[in-house]
Amino acid sequence: MSYTLIPRRTRILLTTMLAGLLLSGCGVNNIPTYDESAKARWSDVQNQYQRRADLIPNLVETVKGYAAQEREVLTQVTEARAKASQIKVDASTVTDPAKFKEYQDAQSALTGALGRLLVTVERYPDLKSNQNFLALQSQLEGTENRISVARRDYIESVRAYNTELKTFPGLVWASTLYRSYKPMETFTVAEDLAKPPTVKF
Amino acid sequence: MFFQFRTAWGRAILGVLLCVAAFAAYALTFPELSGRVVDDAGILDPSTKAALERKLAEFETKTTGQLVVVTLKSLQGTSIEDYGYQLGRHWQIGQKEKNTGALLIVAPNERKVRIEVGYGFEGTLTDAVSRLIIENSIIPRFRANDFAGGVGRGVDDIIQAVSVDSEEWKARAKQRPDDQPGLVDVLALVFFLFIFFMIMRSVAGQSRGYAQTGAGSRRGARGPIFIPIPGSWGSWGSSWSGGGGFSGGGGSFGGGGASGSW
Repeated sequence: MSYTLIPRRTRILLTTMLAGLLLSGCGVNNIPTYDESAKARWSDVQNQYQRRADLIPNLVETVKGYAAQEREVLTQVTEARAKASQIKVDASTVTDPAKFKEYQDAQSALTGALGRLLVTVERYPDLKSNQNFLALQSQLEGTENRISVARRDYIESVRAYNTELKTFPGLVWASTLYRSYKPMETFTVAEDLAKPPTVKF
Repeated sequence: MFFQFRTAWGRAILGVLLCVAAFAAYALTFPELSGRVVDDAGILDPSTKAALERKLAEFETKTTGQLVVVTLKSLQGTSIEDYGYQLGRHWQIGQKEKNTGALLIVAPNERKVRIEVGYGFEGTLTDAVSRLIIENSIIPRFRANDFAGGVGRGVDDIIQAVSVDSEEWKARAKQRPDDQPGLVDVLALVFFLFIFFMIMRSVAGQSRGYAQTGAGSRRGARGPIFIPIPGSWGSWGSSWSGGGGFSGGGGSFGGGGASGSW
């Protein structure tokens, strides 16, 4: 079939469509796709941190029942939780280094305070054998593990997104069509390598 | 100038080396998914294995969830939590979309055991329930070197935990957002159909033209029309697995479950 035999209007249409196809072959959709995927992973991270924050009041109450004298550690946990919850997280958090660092620092502070609490608890055998505490503790450990998985998935998808922004052909699209797409912040490895607080029986 | 250039290159090479090192550190090797019981460490006798296989197969036909028992020779230097979710993702245990899969992982050399729970089972086989199963049913038997007993009892308890309200978890089985076909896919499909239609129409019009000028119908002489298919569509049909064998259903894991050591 010869190209010139096709009516002119159809020819224009076909050419436009072919151009569209070629463009999508050049990865014109990659940046928004990676962006969406990284944002979804970011909300996973936030969900898991939120889940941890939700567990804390119950945990603090249970520990108080057995070890009220450990006021200092308990206060630290409560304060760190309050501080972490106060931070407003919106769409700009992932692209704003200062905001992202603030969020990460608050969550690490809470991780640290929780770790100290779980070490302190070692000294109270009655508390350690309390069924309610055991359930809370396993949920907390599970959540810490989910946080580290969610963080790693986020780091991986941000790496893909940022690479797309900085390498060819994504680089071309980033500087033309997608000027509003900024590189995303990612977690520093230090806390990711830190083990979740575990307590040996 | 030359020195700076060399430093930059030196840094680049160092960066590449670091990346390779990091990649090597993360590259875990996983045993082959040979069945519902993968006894890589060789701690289960054949009759126990066969009985477990039957039990797990029955569980899958009854609930469509997938459960796999795996024993590992080595955790390759990482934690059982880290190894567990990656193994679950690698094997894709559990139904796709529903993510109803779970692994019972035993690492006898590190004396660690873990119940790794897929997204869809997190509501019933919670961290606390997993922990109780490990502490009460599995570890006491492992301490007495009764691996078959510990694994058997653990599997029974897991099946019980997820079967209690299987209707409920079916309703709330989570779906990961990126598993669903997005608007882009639908638009692409419409776009292709449109193009196909246009090509067909112009070809048809062309042959009509020939017919009118007495050149005869050229329909039969039409060459093949090549239509490029984007990468994501190529995966259709590739999930077919050989008859009688066992393979993961496409489920994913996010670190749920509990671990213990003995």
